[in-house]
Amino acid sequence: MKSKFIILVLILMTINSFSQNLNWRSMTSEQRHLFNINFGFDYGTTVGIGYGYKFNTKLPIVLNTEFSVPFGEKIVDDLKSKIGGQIEILNINEFSTTLKAYGVFRRYENKFTRLFNIGSEFAIVSGYYKPKWYVAGELSFDKAITTHVKPSDLTRTYFPEAIDGWFIPSGGNFSYGIQTGYSFGTNEINLKGGKVIEEDFKSDSFVPFYLSLGYTKRI
Amino acid sequence: MKSKKKLLIVTLSILVGIQFSCSDIDPNEPGALVPKTAEQDANIPAIDVNGTRLHAETFGDPNNSMVIFLHGGPGADYRNGINVKELANDGYYVVFYDQRGSGLSKRHDKNSYTIQMMIDDLGAVIEYYKTSPTQKVFLIGHSWGAMLSTAYVNQNPSNITGLILAEAGGLNYDDFTTYGESSKKLNLFSETTNNVLYIDQFFTGKENQHEILDYKLNIRSAFSFAPGNEEGIEGPSPFWRNGAMVLAGLADIAEKDKFDFTTNLGQYSTKVLLLYGENNKSYGLSFAQKEANYFPSSDIAKIENTGHEMFYFNWNSVHPKVLAYLNTLN
Repeated sequence: MKSKFIILVLILMTINSFSQNLNWRSMTSEQRHLFNINFGFDYGTTVGIGYGYKFNTKLPIVLNTEFSVPFGEKIVDDLKSKIGGQIEILNINEFSTTLKAYGVFRRYENKFTRLFNIGSEFAIVSGYYKPKWYVAGELSFDKAITTHVKPSDLTRTYFPEAIDGWFIPSGGNFSYGIQTGYSFGTNEINLKGGKVIEEDFKSDSFVPFYLSLGYTKRI
Repeated sequence: MKSKKKLLIVTLSILVGIQFSCSDIDPNEPGALVPKTAEQDANIPAIDVNGTRLHAETFGDPNNSMVIFLHGGPGADYRNGINVKELANDGYYVVFYDQRGSGLSKRHDKNSYTIQMMIDDLGAVIEYYKTSPTQKVFLIGHSWGAMLSTAYVNQNPSNITGLILAEAGGLNYDDFTTYGESSKKLNLFSETTNNVLYIDQFFTGKENQHEILDYKLNIRSAFSFAPGNEEGIEGPSPFWRNGAMVLAGLADIAEKDKFDFTTNLGQYSTKVLLLYGENNKSYGLSFAQKEANYFPSSDIAKIENTGHEMFYFNWNSVHPKVLAYLNTLN
């Protein structure tokens, strides 16, 4: 039953392919491609790149993909990639609400373990948008649906019975905060930050904050 | 449109494949992510004292003078201090135990831990293994274990024949803070720091979900031996299982109530031996002298070519110094 539920969630994410943050008011109908770079703190100091494609549908939709890695001597032993999209569901005067959904794939490795995670991220962003700038609040839930654990050889010398397999449930974190952006020409600079709290609403992550500074080029 | 359909089918196939090619494991299942505790596995050697079950082992003749090894942490275990059992061949009765909530000992709720409880546990272990009222009792404490040993001596100076402290991370709150700031430096752009932080998006555990939280602490413990670490730790050393809740519980208490294990050390007139590793940049002779000054009488010994984990990485240099001290008082 649990497995079927997980499959269902992933299917819904794939079909809908919702995703990511931008200022709808500053985009023209001719602008279809969004290239993004960002730097910030997302469970570690990270740098990321992204690409989005905008559909000129009745309700504006952008499909996008992102890839980020934390800083460190080993470049891609830890990483996060997302694929999904975002849709503007409400637009009244300057007020706008956007839903986002991503499928998430993560990797982690250190001396003791290698982890692969399949997860999802759902978010709602609502705020005041002008062509040149915006400010909005956001609420999101990042669910680590299932994680594959492969103990390292070192771990096996300490704990020979260590299991190599998929662990469900794995975990999840809520985050909430604010974001703002400034547009000039076909460019946009955005900043977002907020608090992270684990899904039990009691426990904090090691560093319970996120922060991101990004630049987006629209073509 | 066709390519979209294909993509969807491939994605679904992969997801379904993942689901049916492997069974799901509950991370809370004992023994899945971390070894079982003595409460969960009756085959683990243990003693029941002071309302808990402690993983414990002894070596040597029970009628010989007792040497109790106290591991670091809080929350670590005695596995990387097991070399100390060689003292059994030198005529001592060597006792190891994983402290409450640590290693393979029983887990308790976070808010149940107190420093006094840890001190009382040590007293209970001494009483459990003591074979005569006149049996001599020595303590060898490493890191947090050295702090705990001192806390016990501070309350019970007449119970302990001799005390060996290996790099106690501060015998009062101020020194503890100084040592912590010096030894645990975070560089937000380093692999080491990000490996500590990044795991929070893979597993989350509620308070007292010991299996998950202990697992995360195990993974994070690689931080301690990362290249260039301040404590001069050469590399990984064996452990069974870290105790996340006892660490968090005692850290909260230390932060809130502060602590001072030195208030009565003037009553302990026996010479204390303090050991420090040559390569521990955070400790060194100056910190050893600072800690030695809390005692009326002390000796300081440098262990060369090693750092904080001297019992594992350079026992051959530690052994003669420890043995000479013990034999002087035995």
